[in-house]
Amino acid sequence: MAGAGGFVEADNAEAIIARIETKSSKIESLLKQYKPVEALKTALEGSPPKTLDERCKSANWIVVHRALMAIKDIEGMLNALDVEYYDILMKYLYRGLSTGDRPTCDQCLKIHEKLTERAGLGCILRCLTDTINTV
Amino acid sequence: MVAFCPNNNEVHIYKSSQDHWERLHVLEKHDQIVSGIDWSSKSNKIVTVSHDRNSYVWSLEGGEWVPTLVILRLNRAALCVQWSPKENKFAVGSGAKTVCICYYEQENNWWVSKLIRKRHESSVTNVAWHPNNVLLATTSTDGKCRVFSTFIKGVDTKDSKAGSPAESKFGEQILQLDLSYSWAFGVKWSPSGNTLAYVGHSSMIYFVDEVGPSPLAQSVAFRDLPLRDVLFISEKMVIGVGYDSNPMVFVADDTGIWSFIRYIGEKKAESSSASYSSQFSEAFTKLYGQSKATTANEASESSKSGGGVHDNCINSIVSLSKAGSPKVMRFSTSGLDGKIAIWNLENMQEELGHQFQ
Repeated sequence: MAGAGGFVEADNAEAIIARIETKSSKIESLLKQYKPVEALKTALEGSPPKTLDERCKSANWIVVHRALMAIKDIEGMLNALDVEYYDILMKYLYRGLSTGDRPTCDQCLKIHEKLTERAGLGCILRCLTDTINTV
Repeated sequence: MVAFCPNNNEVHIYKSSQDHWERLHVLEKHDQIVSGIDWSSKSNKIVTVSHDRNSYVWSLEGGEWVPTLVILRLNRAALCVQWSPKENKFAVGSGAKTVCICYYEQENNWWVSKLIRKRHESSVTNVAWHPNNVLLATTSTDGKCRVFSTFIKGVDTKDSKAGSPAESKFGEQILQLDLSYSWAFGVKWSPSGNTLAYVGHSSMIYFVDEVGPSPLAQSVAFRDLPLRDVLFISEKMVIGVGYDSNPMVFVADDTGIWSFIRYIGEKKAESSSASYSSQFSEAFTKLYGQSKATTANEASESSKSGGGVHDNCINSIVSLSKAGSPKVMRFSTSGLDGKIAIWNLENMQEELGHQFQ
């Protein structure tokens, strides 16, 4: 497990960042077509939780942030999102809340309220206790 | 009869007569809080372990409970204890990252402890014996669940025909499960010993079938607060208890996939979660200067109790049926609210559905 993690860091960090950049251009085009839900789904898919490299995590966060801020219909977005992405979305919400930036926090709080109603406190617990797969 | 520790260094034994409970004995020998108690049903002995790093085995002689000290050789608190199925050994988990297996040496009239020192990276929170009296599963705050062999020459007989793995060396680790990233608590084996279930602090419960070289593991994530302990009601049904103050039922369907079914008691799930989140956002909106006066009434109502039996975290669950019976009909739970509740599953058979068979 430690060996595989090291492998991902050293060789694939650049590959992951490249992948994130292609993802970001895809997301930009989706946002232009007024499909914010699709954009967020694309952003959350393939989030690299196992890398320890801060750059990969920050790069992915920028992409997710862009998609999150474009969401207007939260209920609809949560309806369309698969259950397995709830935990990852919650982690990104907490990252957003930690930035302290006013519009980001407003948006994250709104989504947090709805997500907690759906996913329950267990989802929050999983974000708090999971210190290995951080975003 | 029930033995419990009221959060101090004593053990109280109560007997139920007609409709009330009366206290029969108080066992006072430990210096610090008694962290684990187990009462063996066949040999009628009570073993207690405490934060004072000691353990006593109590036997009933002439109406009084007489303690025998067991030297565990620990340098940290003992956290949990369990008699083995044949009641000739008991296992103690401790904060010293070790597990003590104690057995009775007939020649010296003395309980001897053998330590499993390797492997654990943090406190051992819970231990569970496999029905074959040799395998022991342990959970620890390093998030891992491990299965060890506790074969002791002279106490255990080698079962050569059973085809069990030949790890009959004491302290040999059979399996380590890395499913959880957070602290792991209650662990139990199913009545046949085929399945292992343990809970993690991240609101997840893990089921492992075919414990051996290639185990099949399942992680079930659930909505609410984490569990602290589990109990197998039958091969396919597990009850978990924890911070939600309401026992949860998990069932395996015919394909062997486990999932959460329901709470034992009726929980007002919808209203309580809505009021929680409006309480939450009300706090945040107060922070941002907006006010949502209308939600204040909702929030004050059903915020705490789920309308169930326990008001606070349930710490442990113990079966009340005869040891070795394939199905458990009655169990008891005890919690931080100071209550002990006895649950009877007979009236709940229709509600629990066909899986109960």
